[in-house]
Amino acid sequence: MESELYLDYGTPYHRLDARTKLIVFLGVFVGALMFKNPIWQLPTAALVLLQVAVSRSWRNLYRIRFVLLVMSVSSIILWNFFSSGTTPLFWIFEVESMFYAINRTMTILMIVSMGVVLISTTRNEELIMGMIRMGLPYRVGFAVSTSLRLVPTVASSLMTISQAQRSRGLDLETGNIVDRLKKFLPLLVPVFISSIRNTNIFGMALESRGFGARPDRTYYLQMRMRATDWVLLALLLLYVAASIWLNIAGYGRIVGLTNF
Amino acid sequence: MTEPAIAIKGLTYRYRGTKKNAIEAIDLELEKGEFLVLMGPSEAGKSTLAACINGLIPHFHKGKLAGDVIVYGKNTREHTVSQMAEDVGLVFQDFEAQLFSTNVELEIAFGPENFAVPREEIAHRIDENLAYVGLSDFRNRPPSTLSGGQKQKLAIASVLALRPKVLVMDEPTTDLDPVSKMGIFEITDRLRRRSDLTLLVVEHETEEVLKANRIALLKDGQLVKVGPAREILQDIDLIESLGLMPLGIARFYRSLGFSDLPLTPDEAVAAYKEAGLTVVCAHHEALAAEEKRAAAAQAAKEPLIRCRDLEFTYPGGVTAIAGISLDVFPGDMVAIVGQNGSGKTTLAKQFNGLLLPTGGSITVNGKTTKEQGIFRLGQSVGYVFQNPDHQIFSETVFDEVSFGPRLRGLADDEVKARVAETLAAVGLEGTEAEDPFSMTKSGRQRVAVAAVLAVKPDVLILDEPTTGLDYHEQCSMMEMVKRLNKQGSTIIFITHHMWVVAEYARKVFVIKDGQLLLEGTPREVFAHEQELLEASLRPPHFIQFTNRLGYTMLRPEELIGCTEGGAG
Repeated sequence: MESELYLDYGTPYHRLDARTKLIVFLGVFVGALMFKNPIWQLPTAALVLLQVAVSRSWRNLYRIRFVLLVMSVSSIILWNFFSSGTTPLFWIFEVESMFYAINRTMTILMIVSMGVVLISTTRNEELIMGMIRMGLPYRVGFAVSTSLRLVPTVASSLMTISQAQRSRGLDLETGNIVDRLKKFLPLLVPVFISSIRNTNIFGMALESRGFGARPDRTYYLQMRMRATDWVLLALLLLYVAASIWLNIAGYGRIVGLTNF
Repeated sequence: MTEPAIAIKGLTYRYRGTKKNAIEAIDLELEKGEFLVLMGPSEAGKSTLAACINGLIPHFHKGKLAGDVIVYGKNTREHTVSQMAEDVGLVFQDFEAQLFSTNVELEIAFGPENFAVPREEIAHRIDENLAYVGLSDFRNRPPSTLSGGQKQKLAIASVLALRPKVLVMDEPTTDLDPVSKMGIFEITDRLRRRSDLTLLVVEHETEEVLKANRIALLKDGQLVKVGPAREILQDIDLIESLGLMPLGIARFYRSLGFSDLPLTPDEAVAAYKEAGLTVVCAHHEALAAEEKRAAAAQAAKEPLIRCRDLEFTYPGGVTAIAGISLDVFPGDMVAIVGQNGSGKTTLAKQFNGLLLPTGGSITVNGKTTKEQGIFRLGQSVGYVFQNPDHQIFSETVFDEVSFGPRLRGLADDEVKARVAETLAAVGLEGTEAEDPFSMTKSGRQRVAVAAVLAVKPDVLILDEPTTGLDYHEQCSMMEMVKRLNKQGSTIIFITHHMWVVAEYARKVFVIKDGQLLLEGTPREVFAHEQELLEASLRPPHFIQFTNRLGYTMLRPEELIGCTEGGAG
């Protein structure tokens, strides 16, 4: 029944400052875009896996395994179409474009994983605070975190509703694609309606507690950069700098690849 | 005269897109420090009036407003909801949707933060308010892990942290079990003693509003009567005419011809003795013996549902059912009761195969739920979920009710006949073409029941069928369920409403921490007040009163039949 995204495990990764986690997320994002060759992508992949392991976020990754699978398969196919190489592999695929597609898929998976690590280890309020301290206005930070907050609410109402409809004999497991999509209607209408209702109460509750009453507000939550944060940021800087330098120096490319 | 805390003058409001005024020409003044309870049937405009006090109307809900609401000199027209928040706190019925922080401390901090209260002061207010509602041990917990009652307490604390002068609570206890309710009322009781706080509470439960200074009765958007709490509660005819629940104790004494009606169990016991009344033991024994005979006849049948050492642990590792053995016999009318989160709903979900046991066994009609599967089991065990809005998705009542029969491959003619038949059974004949979303809550509840009934299940499970309905609607819902039971359906219902159990159940299972604490007829179960209290349950006042006389009686009529002597 647990549907929260934040995993309250208290690992060293959880204790990092939200700003550090946000910067690490952006840093890995940049680093992952520097290489086209999947072999060169391996160090970044290792880095991401290490963070998943340390923060114990695999549970959330496991939860979205179907999404990840669908994304991977469609990404491999799509990037093959949007690039071409010189060495034929089989049918319409070439070795170079396949390499490139694998690389892009890895990039997507890494970025998603980093996002999952970020929200699995950072409380909503910390995330808002991190964003504000990095210069975003409060309302923007609040909007981002609210949309994240919506995910578990919608997930849990989807679960209740699918139970209610299955009790009435709705069978979501059989039939072809069109049939199945039609069968989702009994789920989507109630999910939509209950989400609107919840959002409405949420909005009322927010205003009733003075949201935006004053131009400035105080923050109860305090954040402090510790030594570990600075060390990690220094390492990240090295990693990003090295990635960019390697890219400029021409490493990590695929010979014979044309991409559009 | 001093200036009132809240002055409502000629207030009329109509929601956008509706034809009728939700409230009409309301004039009401609340003195500083007063505790006023707002009562009335569904759709009377109680929540609308509550939303007017802090400016949600007209700022959040759009519509047509006439008249004024002035709170401590501030007109709600001229101040936004956020600006009013410092003066008026509002607690909602839905305890899930009004909490949004990831831990208890931050939930409370949110309000003061918005008003730029310094950090040290916020820390102080967190301590103060958590202690006030008794949640000090939970300060680092995520609100989602709290029980329903604790969530509602947290909502109150988070509003009190703004130090409002007025606190409005809109049906704060509707979704709570009896003891969680008591917890909220205990807080309300402390709040009402504070002279710096004016309290306005919307409430259904007549037993709980005794401590109010005044009660305002609302119907069809209009104030029917405002008066001292005792005076209003003694006016049984008025209360009944509004579709509210009259107090059992008051009803009993009125039938005996008393003029100054006792209202609480204490008063009732004292009045009983004072009038020299006695209970005729033989009559009471006859009542109990009759029930015993009926129960024994049931138990001789082959059980429809049989659980043996049933266990269920959620994938996350939470054990919701820890060894339950029970039988449900054909034709039973069973109530499952227990605290929020005690495992009632998880248990009921085992009955139709939505959840499969992780230990022990459960059979329905002699076969395990696992071998039957949810699709086939759904044919014999119907399950009506608590919230009809989790179920309804069609544009017409006909489509909604015919969904099940169609899925099960019935012919068109037969589907039509079934729909007509089930709609008649739930008292909605002829509504086939209506849009279920435009119906009232009780109407939607009935559509949901009809939709499940339409496949003609042997067993009908109802998860809190009376929650969110007013007394009149609760009665007619349960009368309908009773009728279905008489026609042969086996009924299992989960409920927090103890009077519903007393009035309608023939067998009760009390669940506590995933185990069966008590089972028996309502009379047997309600005699065990102490054990019930452990399960966060409490019999209605009237039954508490008869327990103190040494006999358990479920209805005033029973006690009248057993009472002898005195002047009355």
